[in-house]
Amino acid sequence: MALLETHNLTKSFGGLVAVDDVNLEIEEGESISVIGPNGAGKSTLINLVTRMLDATEGDIEFDGDSILKHEPHEVVQKGVSRSFQTASIFPELTVEENAQIAALAAEHGSFRFNFLRHRNNYGEVDRLARRTLDAVGLLGQRDVTAEDLPYGDKRRLELGIALASEPSLLLMDEPTAGMSPEETADTVELIEEVKEQLDLTILLVEHDMEVVFNVSDRIVVLNRGAVIAEGPPEEVQGNPEVQEAYLGGMDA
Amino acid sequence: MSDEPTETPDATDETGSVVERTQRELPSWERIRESELFVVAATTLAVAIFPWLFARAPVVSGVLQGYQDLATLILIWGIFAMGFNLLLGYTGLLSFGHAAFWGGAAYAAGVFSAQVSSSPILIILAGTSFAALSAWILGFISLRRGGIYFAILTLAFGQMAFYMALSPLAWITGGENGFTGVELGKLFGVFQLRYPVPGLDWLVGTWKYVLVGGVAVLCVAAANRILHSPYGMVFRAIRENDQRAEFVGLNVWRYKLMAFIISGTFAGVAGSLFTIYSAYVPLSSFYWTTSGEVVIMAVLGGVGSLFGPILGAAIYLYVENIVSGVQQLTLPFTGPNEYVTLVQEPVVLMDGFGAYWHLILGLVFVAVVVLFPRGIWGLLMDFGSAVRKLGGGR
Repeated sequence: MALLETHNLTKSFGGLVAVDDVNLEIEEGESISVIGPNGAGKSTLINLVTRMLDATEGDIEFDGDSILKHEPHEVVQKGVSRSFQTASIFPELTVEENAQIAALAAEHGSFRFNFLRHRNNYGEVDRLARRTLDAVGLLGQRDVTAEDLPYGDKRRLELGIALASEPSLLLMDEPTAGMSPEETADTVELIEEVKEQLDLTILLVEHDMEVVFNVSDRIVVLNRGAVIAEGPPEEVQGNPEVQEAYLGGMDA
Repeated sequence: MSDEPTETPDATDETGSVVERTQRELPSWERIRESELFVVAATTLAVAIFPWLFARAPVVSGVLQGYQDLATLILIWGIFAMGFNLLLGYTGLLSFGHAAFWGGAAYAAGVFSAQVSSSPILIILAGTSFAALSAWILGFISLRRGGIYFAILTLAFGQMAFYMALSPLAWITGGENGFTGVELGKLFGVFQLRYPVPGLDWLVGTWKYVLVGGVAVLCVAAANRILHSPYGMVFRAIRENDQRAEFVGLNVWRYKLMAFIISGTFAGVAGSLFTIYSAYVPLSSFYWTTSGEVVIMAVLGGVGSLFGPILGAAIYLYVENIVSGVQQLTLPFTGPNEYVTLVQEPVVLMDGFGAYWHLILGLVFVAVVVLFPRGIWGLLMDFGSAVRKLGGGR
């Protein structure tokens, strides 16, 4: 059974249909990328799946259950984690505390009445946080205040926060946006590494074609909210409709 | 032995991270200051010598011109401001309605003392429970909205409480006159609150101060523990980026509600103590200025720390009660009533100085907000670490 399925998922803002009748299936262990020109509805799709936005129509199933009525934190607790387009971190906390917060949510669930219990009693949270920081290569900077990190490292930290939630499905919204070519290459390597290590299923929204073709098993092409093509990278690349809508300029 | 933190999960036992932390760094001044025992011990010591230093010590009290009751009042407002800051400084939520919890607890404590029991401990428990319950209900409604709407909603609820106490509920609250029927029994059935403490009279004064001081130390210990529990970290995460906190899987709304209830509970402790302190509940305890004062105290002292707001409360009340009484501003060591008199004739800088206390407070407030965003406590901390660096320490 597919890990994530959307059935006729539709989102309209007033008259504008941002996501139009999308049926998506992601198998466990798969890496799929959603591409498309600006305004194609890629980010909206992620926002729908993570319950940041309410769907107008259709259904979303994760692991066999509908998550359409869930709160965002409940979706995360079920195992869907995300990274944002901008580095969404806790700027005034240290790198380690950033990871600890996500680790706390993973270990303790969304809420607990433990306000009189000292944090030293929670070794498992610290260990998960450190393991994650090690995985994204930030363990050496754990005492640095997050806002003092260079941009590339902030994005790494954001990925670390998403990973410390111990997800089975990771949604990434343009993880290389605003990065230099070297940082982009590092990030691609990092994504492949953590995918191997943590046995993740990944849904990637991306502009950078190189990243997409490197990382994905399968590509879904959106245009004006609707899926216009779907398949392995080589096949999608050769699809004339896709070339016209999006890739045409890239091949020239 | 490795000096790097262990990176594999199975290499450390349950207490692994604690052991490893102490091995990694030698105990420094910073670490000692972090320890819970130190915080509680230092607070107890400070609370114990405060009234002596403020009201009775030679030279110091002469300069400060403090008095016993003001020391008690400072601790009461200090508890209020400290609890309020858990919401404002740590969770990043500005409430303009905490008068509802301070006043609610004060009235509940007063009514309880007249109708049920005059035991001071039970009075505090009754007032505090009432405040916690009110905070739960008002928080549940107000936290539906964020930012400025939240602040306005809390303000509206606070004013609603004021008008309820003023007329519809005047048969309980005494309306404009306030609640005058407060009955105060003996502490633990033994100690009369207004009596001096035998043998320690010179230090702490009355049993009333011992009660208020003891509760204050408990409150500091509780607040300190909360900040070092998972809640402390979650609160700060919500302040920094509540969307991200939600998307790591935390139920942000419930944590905000808990922050609101916890701060309302501290306001309740303080409000109940205020009833015991003054043996009377004025209607103004519900007025919006009470909510405003606690905001000013917290910001003045420093919202980023546990003790800042207590210092802020002390400065605010000092200016309100002592500075406002100064008739003439004179140069130090001039005039007849000084410890060291250089000139017999006082050199008067300004007449009717005390009347300007609101202006003085306003100027201090503006200066602090503009120049020292971490408040006066933050300024003192920076100063302290600068001195230690000069001294070669770390």
